[in-house]
Amino acid sequence: MRSGIEKKKARWGWFFVLPAIAYFSIFSFYPIANAFHTSLYRWNLLSLNPPRFVWFENYLRLFQSEVFWNSVKATAIFTVGTFVSLLIGSLALSILIFSRKRFRSFFQMALYSPAVLSTVVAATIWLLILDPRGLGNTWMNALMGTSGKDYQWFANPDMSRISTILIYFWKYIGHFTILFIAGLSSIPNTILEAATIDGAGSWKKYWRITFPLLKPTVVLVCVLSLIQCMKSFSTQYLFVQSGAPKAPIDVLTLNIYNTAIRDHQIGRASAISVILFLTLILFSWAQLKLGRSEEVSFQ
Amino acid sequence: MKLKGLFFVGILLICSIFAASTIELTVWTHEDPNRTLLEDRYIEEFQKLHPEVSIKRVTYPSAKIRETVLTAFSAGKGPDIFNMEVQDEYPYIVNQRVAPVNPIAMGYKNVEEIYDAYLEGTLNPVSYQGKLYGVPLEITNWCIFVNKRYTNALGMDFDNNYPKTWEALMEIADQLTVRNGEIITRRGFDFRYPYYLTFFIPMVEQLGGYLLNEDGTEAIINEKAWIDVLTFMKEWGPSGRNLGSPTYTAARKNWNKDDGSIVMCESGLYQILRLKSENPDLFHSDDWMIIPWPTFENAVNPVKGNYYGHYYMVNAQSSSEKQEWAWKLIAYMLQHTNEYFEQVGLIQPTYELMDSAVFKEFPFANVFMNDMSQAGCVLLHQAGPRLEELIREAVESVMLSGVSPENAVKTLKSKATEVLEDY
Repeated sequence: MRSGIEKKKARWGWFFVLPAIAYFSIFSFYPIANAFHTSLYRWNLLSLNPPRFVWFENYLRLFQSEVFWNSVKATAIFTVGTFVSLLIGSLALSILIFSRKRFRSFFQMALYSPAVLSTVVAATIWLLILDPRGLGNTWMNALMGTSGKDYQWFANPDMSRISTILIYFWKYIGHFTILFIAGLSSIPNTILEAATIDGAGSWKKYWRITFPLLKPTVVLVCVLSLIQCMKSFSTQYLFVQSGAPKAPIDVLTLNIYNTAIRDHQIGRASAISVILFLTLILFSWAQLKLGRSEEVSFQ
Repeated sequence: MKLKGLFFVGILLICSIFAASTIELTVWTHEDPNRTLLEDRYIEEFQKLHPEVSIKRVTYPSAKIRETVLTAFSAGKGPDIFNMEVQDEYPYIVNQRVAPVNPIAMGYKNVEEIYDAYLEGTLNPVSYQGKLYGVPLEITNWCIFVNKRYTNALGMDFDNNYPKTWEALMEIADQLTVRNGEIITRRGFDFRYPYYLTFFIPMVEQLGGYLLNEDGTEAIINEKAWIDVLTFMKEWGPSGRNLGSPTYTAARKNWNKDDGSIVMCESGLYQILRLKSENPDLFHSDDWMIIPWPTFENAVNPVKGNYYGHYYMVNAQSSSEKQEWAWKLIAYMLQHTNEYFEQVGLIQPTYELMDSAVFKEFPFANVFMNDMSQAGCVLLHQAGPRLEELIREAVESVMLSGVSPENAVKTLKSKATEVLEDY
């Protein structure tokens, strides 16, 4: 039997949690459930006829569709390319910035500033840079010692993939670096001092102390960056609008957009979004599970 | 206190009666600053004539209006009046989301009188199962805009000898193109990517190919013609003679600037008035001209670039009263056909405009109308946008990814056949 005070506390707990539950129910859970429900129908967005219940036909059609599997491939390439480079890059930069005494705030601010821009603005800036006559080719020609070479940032399928990864990396590297710096700041100095007294060198301290204690932040960055990468849309959309070949960068979100808006097939678009959602849940769960396998404590 | 209460109730009642008697119409249209000036004025005049009607005109970028209108209609919140490119409007007709034209509200005796007012065939795109669903705000076909400063500099005499075939255009474009290594700094001519239904399909048709067979059940007819045109595009692209590519800034955007980056581009008559406002120096000079759309040397079907149109339509879910006022407003705006043409360069294909001195004396209007007489309408099919996307993939795969035209056609045919199975 719970005491009166506990019951009272629980009631207040529910009271305070209720707005958040209501918010998530309306703006997250309901749309998710609705998307799943819609994915079971053959539904033309413009038709006045009632949608036809088709069970899992939309999913079966997707699994047989070449375009869908191309989207899976494009998403996988983009996600792996961006996720790995973001993780390694932000970790390296955070250590570099954290080790500096001066200009630390300036570096943080400079790195974070692209994250403030909307993805559309960022992509538009990069579209100008990567235009055949833009700065991208000028820089690359100077760097590679070539003259008048067109590196085909949009035109070449591989280069268009690299370009989208580059834009995303540039935009979000600062955000994740800040998260790592926050993680590094939370590691008690006493542990590092003790290790120094025990004769540990810089590399040993990072490898044996800093990295293991940073694990919760690594998991957080992994989950956030993975979700961010798999949901990427605006960059690819603007690239395609600017003439880049669609197939190499036709990520799942772009496929959802085209299936719904261009083809008017909201049922099939919902099926893709459900698949994307389940994939995200699966990856996030796996990462969290792996992260919890060795809990970190500063005690 | 009681009297005060009664007074407020009375005021509320009067307000609600007035509010109820006001008809509110929403008009969604694409951005066009010159047209906005005109239509804002027409709306103001219309509201003065009919104080019981209140009109809200909202503009959207051309690239955005398709999805904005679609999402609004799918939520049952579509505007009372809207316009888009006719190929995007077609599914609204087929799915009965737009109301048939009300000839009486528009001031005509019957629908036949409307057909009689417009050039033959120009209302066909919005005629479906014996009913008329829209009236044209504009119909557009493309010809070739030429900046003669650059052609004259190379001793080319376009006034007397302009390129009439795609092959000749390619040769001339090659001479006019300036490169820094592989990077093109000036294009002689470039296509209007990615509007492949407008320019690419007629090129295929010139060589005897078609996108669909007559009953629309089979796609990519006469593969040889498709392969030939794709070979031409491959030759055009970076891996061929490097004359242009979809990844360069749209040719028509830079043409008005006369910044030395493009000599010739495809565009509609409306671009003349945009040139006038954006670059009056060039407009008032003799340094530009417009030439007809080319055909292939061995063309079996001398068609010109397809025309497309924007048609004003009325939401079928609006109340009948709103629909009636909507058609009245559309009729009021469109009665200014000559002004639309003079101020914005929009062709509303009425006999009244074609017979007017304004049209006959307008620079190069005859070039556009001659081409229009040999042009077909852009494909109207529920799968149109998907097919256009597939054609885009095929063209870009040969131009940019090194795929052979034969393989590109094979892939295109198989994907197009799969798409048609959905409809």
